[in-house]
Amino acid sequence: MIRFLLKGLWRDKSRSRLPIIVVATGVMLTVFMHAYITGFMGDTIEMNARFSYGHVKVMTRAYAELSDQIPNDLALLDSDKTLASLQRSYPELEWTERIQFGGLIDVPDVNGDTKAQGPAIGFAIHLLDAQKGDVDRMKISNAIKEGALAQHPNEALLSDDFARKLGLKIGDVFTLMGSSMNGSMTMYNLKLAGTVVFGVEMMDRGTVIADIEDIRKALEMQNASGELLGFFKDGYYNDDRATKIASEFNASFKNVDDPYAPLMKSLGQQGSMGQYVEMAKVWSFYVSLIFIIAMSLVLWNAGLLGGLRRYGEVGLRIAIGEEKIHVYKTMIYESLLIGIGGTITGTILGLFFAYLLQRYGLDISGAMEGATLMFPTVIKARITLTDYYIGFFPGIVSTVLGTALSGIGIFKRQTASLFKELES
Amino acid sequence: MKLALKLAYRNLIGAGLRTWLNVIVLSFSFVIIIWLKGVLMGWDYQAKTDMKQWQIAEGQWWHEAYDPFDPLSIQDSHAELPNTITPLLEEGLTEPMLFVQASIFPEGRMQSVILKGIRPEQQLFRIPSIQLDTISEELPALIGHMMAKSCRLKKGDIVTIRWRDANGTFDARDVVIAGVFASNVPAIENAQVYIPLAELQKMTLLTNQATIISFSDEKLLKDPPTSWLSKDKAFLTKQVDEMIKTKSSGQTVMYIILLFLAMLAIFDTQVLSIFRRQKEIGTYIALGYTRRQVVGLFTIEGSMHAVFAAFVGALYGVPFLSWQAKAGWTMPIDTSEFGMAIAQTLYPMYSLSLVFTTVFIVLLTTAIVSYLPSRKIAKMNPTEALRGKLQ
Amino acid sequence: MKNYILVLFLIYSTILKAQTAEDVLARVDANMTSTNRVLESSMTIQGKRNSRTITSKTYAAGNKQSFTEYLSPASEKGTKMLKLEKQLWVYSPTTDRTIQLSGHMLRQSVMGSDLSYEDMMDDRKLSEMYESKIIGNELLGDRKTLILELTAKVVDVAYYSQKIWVDAERYVPLKQEMYAKGGKLLKQTEMKDVTKVQNRWFPLTVVYKDMLKQGDGTIFKITTIAFNQEIPAFIFTKAALKQ
Repeated sequence: MIRFLLKGLWRDKSRSRLPIIVVATGVMLTVFMHAYITGFMGDTIEMNARFSYGHVKVMTRAYAELSDQIPNDLALLDSDKTLASLQRSYPELEWTERIQFGGLIDVPDVNGDTKAQGPAIGFAIHLLDAQKGDVDRMKISNAIKEGALAQHPNEALLSDDFARKLGLKIGDVFTLMGSSMNGSMTMYNLKLAGTVVFGVEMMDRGTVIADIEDIRKALEMQNASGELLGFFKDGYYNDDRATKIASEFNASFKNVDDPYAPLMKSLGQQGSMGQYVEMAKVWSFYVSLIFIIAMSLVLWNAGLLGGLRRYGEVGLRIAIGEEKIHVYKTMIYESLLIGIGGTITGTILGLFFAYLLQRYGLDISGAMEGATLMFPTVIKARITLTDYYIGFFPGIVSTVLGTALSGIGIFKRQTASLFKELES
Repeated sequence: MKLALKLAYRNLIGAGLRTWLNVIVLSFSFVIIIWLKGVLMGWDYQAKTDMKQWQIAEGQWWHEAYDPFDPLSIQDSHAELPNTITPLLEEGLTEPMLFVQASIFPEGRMQSVILKGIRPEQQLFRIPSIQLDTISEELPALIGHMMAKSCRLKKGDIVTIRWRDANGTFDARDVVIAGVFASNVPAIENAQVYIPLAELQKMTLLTNQATIISFSDEKLLKDPPTSWLSKDKAFLTKQVDEMIKTKSSGQTVMYIILLFLAMLAIFDTQVLSIFRRQKEIGTYIALGYTRRQVVGLFTIEGSMHAVFAAFVGALYGVPFLSWQAKAGWTMPIDTSEFGMAIAQTLYPMYSLSLVFTTVFIVLLTTAIVSYLPSRKIAKMNPTEALRGKLQ
Repeated sequence: MKNYILVLFLIYSTILKAQTAEDVLARVDANMTSTNRVLESSMTIQGKRNSRTITSKTYAAGNKQSFTEYLSPASEKGTKMLKLEKQLWVYSPTTDRTIQLSGHMLRQSVMGSDLSYEDMMDDRKLSEMYESKIIGNELLGDRKTLILELTAKVVDVAYYSQKIWVDAERYVPLKQEMYAKGGKLLKQTEMKDVTKVQNRWFPLTVVYKDMLKQGDGTIFKITTIAFNQEIPAFIFTKAALKQ
């Protein structure tokens, strides 16, 4: 039976082509839209994750209390051990060490006296070891304006504006004055390897990015890390999972009475990110809902149209003796097949376009020159599990429903007037 | 033309459910586009109004050394109030503020703050500075609710503040939190403590000095005296503009997809109409209609979906949109930590031009989509069409 | 007999009375300052997590010039600090840079202690900066002390007023409290181990405490001290920092 119907659909293109195109297009739009919304809402989250929050973050309890002030005197000691144990316990996450720090950049003149000085916010990351993923994660290669990525120890990157204000050129040496873990004033020489522009005022004012090993030396933080960040290997934040991991981890330290015991926080548990995560969820839900409703109506209509298209054929089939119920059933089956075919095609196409947008992004930076906020300048889609099945509801249910409704007309037709209808 | 409209109307009504499904989907486009754009407009308006009322008035003069992003600049960014300010001050047209770096010690932890001197009697800003006009042993101070939260302070609490006067002499005093205010402008709440301006000037030996001067009228901004820089509203609200721009570009993709969806339905309907009504088309041509006129007829019929949609959209859209404008759209989150002026509840705003542009764009798109399949008519052989032969 | 005691008492109390606050302060200043001195010291900082000790050698001439070289721990070794009048330079051996500290940098804590660079910078004699008044006496441990209240007479002082407990016999301050203009106690120092060094009494241990912050303060201990030494003038130049 199915084979018979399929053959019919295949041979009579007018029965299958347009309906499938319509269903496929609709499903494609729904899938694409959902991935787009998820990506759009999620990008701000990912951006904040990459720069400061991680998907989860481990720090000492004392550090967590005052995390706004970046209290490196409360940093995690023996961070390699903690890191190794985290890597063992949570292999689904990639772990990396970070130190955020504040300090002064001091530029010497030929005599070594201070020529210029300015306050800086620093990020110590695995800048030299691309294997550790931080360079990719923070998209540093894309942010390079002048010069190049740091290749050697004691090389660092500065915000482009900042470097210009200080009168620094690529290759110049400057001194980072900071405060060591013990509160001593420290000085450390770094060479300017390149300048960066992130398109975010917060990052473009006075940022210094250096390798964590250099900064550990500079701030006397041997084997210490301010923060250990964990990122899901698929690259996307999963709130439920992250929250669960964090509470599991913290439960294992429940009985440790030490202000310097490690504490894990999910991105959602840090700063205002939790609220943003919530908002992203709510928004994605509403937008998807509206889309699915609209899509369902469109496909329902398409189902109705499909029924009408075959008015003559149905009449003929009844006229030559086919039972009405049988005609109706085959119509439903056919629409089911069209629905499935269209949905699969549409889902594949939708995923394909979403993938393109996920991979390459839509650069809107032209539209927002001189942006000052922690908002991404490239709109990206994000494919989630939902995208694989979200199209099925409007794609199949609505198509079948449309056919079922229009098919009711079959039962109203009078056998006696059939030929007359056909003649006219 | 009138006839064409009548025909189109009859045909659409006759199609029943099919028409209404199309119309409903199209009406979604109307309402959602207007609503989303309205939310953005409302947001833009609200953010700027909040900033105006709490932070920037109609523009400011900044001391030339003042850089809000560089806390180190505050130490040197103050100067005597220009003479021209005094008469304006009496009329309430301007409001000077003095900023001084200080440390606050809630629970024995040191935290950097900016002490802001504000006149208790000022009317320019909504900061409830009048609460500073009390007599108490300790110095009265106001803080924002975000600051209150981060320092775990509440009204009536006493906390030590340490600062240095113009000569560098340490001074410290206990202040009593005379009030906690809630604004939607984090920039005036984070790490800031408000105390009476005269007190701060006395405490720091900066008699009659200020860091910024706000004005109630843009005209007053012109020609700042030396060591003052004029910052107009456009400059001060640049951040809001940029955010709205980003949000807009993100939304545009949504409109396009939504419209695309509606157009899919229209297109499908049109294709079927033309396919099923070949006899009708043949008849029209036989009656002397030119092919272009027939194409026009079908285009009008398709476009009329948009007109219907406008009415249907208005039917539920007007109550919905006006309810939204009145009740506002409450974000399901606490927006106070966003770092910029966002109210918890946004009140969408719709302008006439917004409604017209939306209607026009949707109508135009529908017309184009209706026209495309109709072109097929022009290629039809009228006799064959008349006979009902499928082409 | 009775009268005799009374007379003695009267004489004794007049002697005490006759001693003005200015005299006391002058004697304290004389005791605490010297033409020059060379000392080695250790500073123990009782931090939140650990306590650490930093040793250094200091050469000072009068109040205006001083040169300090840090000896341990390894991370601080070789760091040198030169103070000339109102200027302060810090040399760091790892960077081979000499940087002058100014403005807010001076307000930073020295090596994480409760002292700021600025606290070390004020080199004027107490009597130059403050009006003084004796407001009472008190027994601190087993030492009799006079309590002096100092109020700033110049504008550019870090602390508007101070209270000093001065040993009534040795003219060494035993306790010092620094107040803000509004009267709030900001810092407190306690001097201990008062020892006679080259005919003068000198406290070898000082405990500093920032009263607004939580914590246990910083202990500053002098291990060796010698007054009136020959210090080559070269020491007090920027060039000496790089040596």
